[in-house]
Amino acid sequence: MDKLYIFLKYFFIVVWTVFVVAPFLWALTTSFKDFQSVNGGVTYIPWVDFEPNLEGWKVLIKSPAKGGVDIIEPYFNSMFVTCTASLISIILGTLSAYALSRYTFKAGFVKNNDITFFFISQRIMPPIVLSIPFFLFLSSINLLDSLTGLIVVYIVLLMPIAVWIMVDFFNKVPREIDETALIDGCNPYQAFLKVVLPNSIPGLIVAGMFCIIFGWIDFFFAFILTFTEVQLLPVKIVALNSSVTPWWSLSASALVSVAPLIIVAFIVERYLSKGNLSGAIK
Amino acid sequence: MAKIDLSNISHSYNPNDLNPVYALNPFSMTWENGNRYAILGPSGCGKTTMLNIVSGLVRPSAGRILFDDKDVTDLKTEDRNIAQVFQFPVIYNTMTVYENLAFPLKCRDFSKNKIDERVNSVAETLNLQSFLNSPARKLTADQKQLISLGRGLVREDVAAVLMDEPLTVIDPDLKFRLRRNLKEINEQYKTTLVYVTHDQNEAMTFADNIIVMSEGEVVQTGSPKELFERPNTTFVGYFIGSPAMNLFESEASSGNSVKINNVLIKTHTNLSNLKTKNIKLGIRSEFIKIAQNQNENLVDVNVEKVEDLGNYKLITAKMGNFTIKSKVNRETEIPNQKVKLHIPAEKCCVYEDNKLI
Repeated sequence: MDKLYIFLKYFFIVVWTVFVVAPFLWALTTSFKDFQSVNGGVTYIPWVDFEPNLEGWKVLIKSPAKGGVDIIEPYFNSMFVTCTASLISIILGTLSAYALSRYTFKAGFVKNNDITFFFISQRIMPPIVLSIPFFLFLSSINLLDSLTGLIVVYIVLLMPIAVWIMVDFFNKVPREIDETALIDGCNPYQAFLKVVLPNSIPGLIVAGMFCIIFGWIDFFFAFILTFTEVQLLPVKIVALNSSVTPWWSLSASALVSVAPLIIVAFIVERYLSKGNLSGAIK
Repeated sequence: MAKIDLSNISHSYNPNDLNPVYALNPFSMTWENGNRYAILGPSGCGKTTMLNIVSGLVRPSAGRILFDDKDVTDLKTEDRNIAQVFQFPVIYNTMTVYENLAFPLKCRDFSKNKIDERVNSVAETLNLQSFLNSPARKLTADQKQLISLGRGLVREDVAAVLMDEPLTVIDPDLKFRLRRNLKEINEQYKTTLVYVTHDQNEAMTFADNIIVMSEGEVVQTGSPKELFERPNTTFVGYFIGSPAMNLFESEASSGNSVKINNVLIKTHTNLSNLKTKNIKLGIRSEFIKIAQNQNENLVDVNVEKVEDLGNYKLITAKMGNFTIKSKVNRETEIPNQKVKLHIPAEKCCVYEDNKLI
């Protein structure tokens, strides 16, 4: 029984690992191939089946004038927009979530839960519904095709995630902890900053991670709201495609674009598994 | 340290509704400086609401609170200089034990030396010295509760330490020691301690004044002895003491006697001005003994069972329809079935409409 269990466990782990890793391996080998090795039948093993070269990678950093595509600028644009929007969303989202969790709001039939749902409902709508309003809004304030405009839009998209995660998290932090801080002599702001917030680091990390992921992978709004001045990474990668699909540079750029998320995942996973994040108060 | 006056306090959690439900009915009370009080009552009777009003977490719907004759009703919690310990340990997870204990002093800008001195002193009282530098979250539940308690005791000038069933999560053995510690702290520093509990033993052993509450009402305030011997209402008689007070439906007879099952029982209460016929006679099982040579206030009973409870025997007997319980010495031989019990007149309490006359 035990042996069967262990066998099944490792069997599924192996299957899942293959499932997850295979696309990366595929992209990795493809990124070192040339036209012939991709289109001339199946090849697997470098130096045996095909001769690896760095063309796919070199194109990414060469300027367009030299026949390259230069994804460095879009890369940093993406990082800047994602990080700034995530940071602002987390700050605003955490503050609103704390208020929604601790204080009672009432405006007619609208109560705390309805407000929370309103935030989340912004993500339930298909993005296309928002595209025209956003386009008109940004054009009216002259922020089309600019990093600032994208940050504004991304805050709208990311803040619901932060609010949603943090409301849930704060609801799980007992009220007594705020009350104790008040009794111990903090004012409500100090109680939030010194006591509740340090206890909520796990929630902040999870919310931050989601914001970064959703900000980083967004193609739709980056595509609609920018043209030539500013380009974000996902748009640039899609723009790589032409009449002859350059599988090698597409693969290389795909790998480069997921790299930051993989790094974030590893760091957070380390931190999570250390047990530092168990939010137990009782 | 302060004298705390609660004047005409009442509280409802829905004061604006057409029919507000009162969690606390109007009452007035004074807590003298340096005394130990226990608030005793079943769950949901308003004990915690009362504490939260004193600490300022809840603003009373009506009435004033005075600390040393200064009105603090509208003062915020953080400005009241009060300490409160909750039922479950509340600790600051991200801090060490030392930082936890020092937090109330840090918030009030005490000097580093003073903080050090107070934290060490409190840690010693609570046996926490060896943990001072460990992260607070790594401690066991009862050690965490000690930290909560310690944060309450670390300020010397605190107006009162309010404790909301603080020993629920603590081992019985440690509980006993802690209660004694709290008493010592109270005697040493003259800190006013207010202790909420639903455990009468805890209240009786801890406090010199007990406030009994029921359904939002303060039913009786008094020393443990008063509550035990002269309960104000049948509720207090029933709630305090183990077993509960014996209560018999009875008729008033002439003068100061009542009739139970046609047996005349003399009391020391004047029963000539009764307004209703709803009379109950209450007597603690501790005061009912097997008759020796008394010649009045005797009742014939059939013994149903005798339980040996270690330090005493508990007799459960039938007197007509009534069940009567009596606590007697362990050594007492209990004759067969039929027994004569003696009910001492001076210990009888007579209740009209469940209120002591």
